[in-house]
Amino acid sequence: MRHKLYGYVIFCSVVLCVTFGGIAAFAQDTGVFKLETFGSLERPVSTFDHDEHQEMDGMECSDCHHVYENGVKAADQSSEDQACAECHTLKSQGTQPGLRQAYHQQCKNCHVEKKAGPVACGECHIK
Amino acid sequence: MQDIYLLVAGPLAWAAWAIFFLGSAYKIWSTLAVAKQKDQVLLNYVSFRYALRSIINWSIPFNTTNMRLHPVFTGVAFFFHIAFFVLLIFISAHQIMIEEGFGIGWVTLPDIVADILAFAVLGVCVFFAVRRVIRPEVNYVTDWTDYGLLALVTAPFLTGVLAYHQVGDYMTMVILHMLSAEILLVAIPFTRLSHMLLASLTRGYIGSEFGMVRHVNDW
Ligand code: HEC
Ligand code: HEC
Ligand code: HEC
Ligand code: HEC
Repeated sequence: MRHKLYGYVIFCSVVLCVTFGGIAAFAQDTGVFKLETFGSLERPVSTFDHDEHQEMDGMECSDCHHVYENGVKAADQSSEDQACAECHTLKSQGTQPGLRQAYHQQCKNCHVEKKAGPVACGECHIK
Repeated sequence: MQDIYLLVAGPLAWAAWAIFFLGSAYKIWSTLAVAKQKDQVLLNYVSFRYALRSIINWSIPFNTTNMRLHPVFTGVAFFFHIAFFVLLIFISAHQIMIEEGFGIGWVTLPDIVADILAFAVLGVCVFFAVRRVIRPEVNYVTDWTDYGLLALVTAPFLTGVLAYHQVGDYMTMVILHMLSAEILLVAIPFTRLSHMLLASLTRGYIGSEFGMVRHVNDW
C-alpha cells in the first residue's frame, strides 16, 4: 500500500515538473507586442511581421500608430514611440476600445478590407 | 478561404439564428394549436402551479424516482445538458467575438477548463451512442435518425476541439465548426431536438394532469 502511494507521488511530481518545465521552456517571445497589461496570456502570441506590414504599398506608420485629437484621427501625427497599451487600457473607455479589442479591430478590419491576411483566431494565434 | 470564412461567420450565422427563432416560435405555436384541437378538456385543467411544480422537480438531478432508477444515465445526461450551454455561452472565443461585434461582454471560462469540458462532452456523446447499441430497451426504439441527430450534436464539439488544438487544416476546421453549429441550430425546431423548446410544455402538461386530475405527484 505504502510503496504504491510513494510511486504515485513520484509519478505526479515528474508529470508536474515536465509540464511546468515545458511551459517555461516554450514561453513565447512576444515579438513587438507589449503585453504586460494582459498578465498571463490565454492564447499563443499572435504572429505579426512588422517589417512586411510597414513596407506594404500605401501603408503609413500612423495607420496603426495613431493619435486622436478630440475624437478625430490626427492625419499628420503618429505614436510609434508609444505602446498601444499606454493608451488602451484593459477595459474600454468610451469609444476607445480595450487593449485586446484594439489589436483585433485594427488587424482584422484591415485584413477584411484588403481581402487578404488572417481573420480567424488560429490563423494569428498559431500554436 | 477568407471569403468562405466571412460568409459562414456572417450572413449564414444570421440566417441560422433567424430560422432558429422563427422556427421555434412556429413549433411552439403549432404544438399548442394541436393540443387545443385534440385535447381541449385537458387544457382546461392546465394549472400554472402544478406545471411549475413538475418542471422544478424534474430539473433537480436525482429528484425523481425514475432518475434514481438510472443514476448513471441521469448524471451523464444532466452533465451533458449543463455543459452544452455552459460551453456555448462561456467559451472565451464566443464571448470575444460577441463583445467585439456587439459591445456586450460577460465572464468567460479559462480555455483550459473549457477544453476539459469539451473533451468530457465528446466522451458523453460516445456514451450516448454506445448506450443506444448495447441497451436492448433503448436499441429497440432507436433508428438511424437517432444516430444522425447525435452526430449532428457531436459535430460542433468535435470540430471545435480540433480547431482549438489546430489539428488538421485550421481554416477547414473552423469553417466546419461554424457550419455544423448552424445546421444544428436550424435543426432544433424541426427535429426531436425540439425537446429543447417543448420539454417544459410536456412537463407542465403532465404535471397539471397528475396534480389537478389524479391528485398525485408525477415524480
Ligand atoms: C500594420 C500596423 C503597423 C504599421 C503600419 C506600423 N506599425 Fe509599428 N507596430 C505595430 C504594432 C502592433 C506594434 C506593437 C505595439 C504594442 O504592442 O504596443 C508596433 C511596434 C512598433 C515599435 C516598437 C517596437 C519594439 O520592438 O519595441 C516601433 C519602434 C514601431 N512600431 C515603429 C513603426 C514605424 C516607424 C512605422 C512606419 C514606418 C510603423 N511602426 C508601422 C504596428 C504597425
Ligand atoms: C496616443 C494614444 C494611443 C495609442 C498609442 C494608440 N491608440 Fe488606439 N486609440 C486611441 C484613442 C484616443 C482612440 C479612440 C478614438 C475615438 O474616440 O474614436 C483609439 C481608437 C482605437 C481603435 C478604434 C478606432 C480605430 O481607429 O479603428 C483601434 C482599433 C485602436 N485604437 C487600436 C490601436 C492599436 C492597435 C494601437 C497600437 C499599435 C493603438 N491603438 C495605439 C489612442 C491611442
Ligand atoms: C492597414 C492594413 C493592415 C493592418 C492594420 C494589419 N495588417 Fe496584417 N496584413 C495586411 C495585408 C494586406 C496582408 C496580406 C499580405 C499578403 O498576403 O501579401 C496581411 C497579412 C498578415 C499576415 C499573414 C502574413 C503572411 O505572410 O501570410 C499576418 C499574420 C498578419 N497580417 C498579422 C497582422 C496583425 C497581427 C495585425 C495587427 C497587429 C495586422 N496584421 C494588421 C494588412 C494589414
Ligand atoms: C489578425 C490577427 C488576430 C486574429 C484573427 C485574432 N487575434 Fe487575438 N490577438 C491578436 C493580437 C495581435 C493580440 C495581442 C498580442 C497577443 O496577445 O497575441 C491578440 C490578443 C488576444 C487575446 C489577449 C491576450 C491573451 O492571450 O490572453 C486573446 C484572449 C485573443 N487575442 C483571443 C482571440 C480569439 C478568441 C480570436 C478569434 C475569435 C482571436 N484572438 C483572433 C491578433 C489576432
